[in-house]
Amino acid sequence: MEKPGGKGRPVDLLVEGFRKGAPGAFEAIVRAHQDRIYSFCARMLSDREDALDAAQEVFLSAWRHLSEFRGEAALSTWLLRIAANRCLNRIRRRKSLAEREAPWPEPSGEMMEEGFVFQPAGGEADRPDRLAEACEMGEILTEALSRLDPGSRWMVLLSDVEGFSYEEIATLADVPVGTVKSRLHRARMAMRRLLSPVA
Amino acid sequence: MDTMDCKQAGDLLSEYQDGTLDPAAAAALDAHLRGCGECTGSVGSLLAVRELLRGLPPDPAPPELLARVLAAVEAEDRDAGADSAPGGGDASRPFLARFRIPLEAAAVVLLFASVYWYQRTPTPPARPPSAPTAQAPETTPPVAISPDASSSAAKVSPTGIRLPRGNPKKPREEAPAAAKPRTWAAEDLPSLPAIRASTDSERIVPIAPFHGPSADPGGRGTPAFEVRQSAETEGGADFRLSRSFAAPSSRLLRPLRYGRDIAVDVAPESREGAEERVAEATLRSDGIVERIERDSETGREGASGTIRVVLPEAAAAGFLDELRRIGTVPQENLQSAIDIPAGPRPGTIAYAVRIRVR
Repeated sequence: MEKPGGKGRPVDLLVEGFRKGAPGAFEAIVRAHQDRIYSFCARMLSDREDALDAAQEVFLSAWRHLSEFRGEAALSTWLLRIAANRCLNRIRRRKSLAEREAPWPEPSGEMMEEGFVFQPAGGEADRPDRLAEACEMGEILTEALSRLDPGSRWMVLLSDVEGFSYEEIATLADVPVGTVKSRLHRARMAMRRLLSPVA
Repeated sequence: MDTMDCKQAGDLLSEYQDGTLDPAAAAALDAHLRGCGECTGSVGSLLAVRELLRGLPPDPAPPELLARVLAAVEAEDRDAGADSAPGGGDASRPFLARFRIPLEAAAVVLLFASVYWYQRTPTPPARPPSAPTAQAPETTPPVAISPDASSSAAKVSPTGIRLPRGNPKKPREEAPAAAKPRTWAAEDLPSLPAIRASTDSERIVPIAPFHGPSADPGGRGTPAFEVRQSAETEGGADFRLSRSFAAPSSRLLRPLRYGRDIAVDVAPESREGAEERVAEATLRSDGIVERIERDSETGREGASGTIRVVLPEAAAAGFLDELRRIGTVPQENLQSAIDIPAGPRPGTIAYAVRIRVR
């Protein structure tokens, strides 16, 4: 996996080619990153069409602003930042998801102490062990991630899936590093509880 | 030695697995984990979850994503034209295109500045209210425009009338009125709606000759007409008089926005001065004359002139009686003119009195 912030990647050549107007450079960039960006969007939004739209927005935004990309971070990091913002905006706007997440107050009090930051399963069929019997591990993980609150989910995705550091996430979220740590901790504990039958 | 409990240890497990704990905290947690199987199990499961997440393969993007992205880029590129070529930035844009918005903004600013400057053009000094009146000149120009009324595009008189803007650089010659005419108080004068704003005339009030010998010192038998001043130059409701002229015969008669048309048929031999007689009747009825339109061939059959007047509603009947003394007024005209008052403000009635030679 490409490490965020790395240098000398072949994709940088694509960026240079894009800047020089090389034909096909942008298409090659999209091909190189579309799976990662789409996956991130799909896990954030839990909806294929929404994820498709969000991923399209990410690449269109990249096309508009790639000339401003200075290469301080990897292109994938830059794209994931755009994707995170786009997905969070969509989550804020999306009423259906808001309703689905409505039983999810911001964790506090007893819920905080219990590490209860994930959405409780709706019934027996939703229990992780039952899901494990029916689904592949990837689907279980995706399902578990979808039950995290959006404010923590994207941090888990960026930290544990994409390998972002606390500092990078804090910068992206515009919150203190301590907030990132505490949110990640609660989300991970929730994931552990949710996945305990299979993990 | 174990110095922390499971609660404290649990709070540190996430950072512990990330390797971001400071050495002292990490050592303390290590000590706790050596003696606590439950917390050790928690660390193991946390690591397992993270490994699962790290190994989560990306979902393959649907094939349509690439097609949609490229189509969107092509559409945007087409819309933006060559100016926004990918990676081009400003460097590839035409020079003027880079300043498109600033130029538009500058145009708007310039427009506002022009209007502001136009409005702030200094006005010629107003004549003192007590300026004595004097005899009208031998050659009376057809129209007098007071320089006082020239400072703004459309001033509003105390009656609400929007007066036209004159040329501030060319104050025209003035002929003081021979005598102070009868005037209304400001609240009594009709106000004209904004649609009446015009650029070519002032409000004209006839000065009746019966006011005395001084009313027409020139002895030519032609009454003078005062030009009303705007509210700003008159300092309120007290109208000052300026030189008075008749409206030029060449001025086109404009459709009356309000009021009633009324015809007065006069014999050819009494056609001369008919407009003035109507104007005098208007004054006697406490009205004002807005405009006089004259036909150049006043003596011929069918020649016409029109006097636009505004009266208090209560004075309409008396005014029509006066008209009947000037000429013949069709009865149907009289009835509708009285029954349907239509002045520029409630309580007033406006007439366009057409003089016809019959």
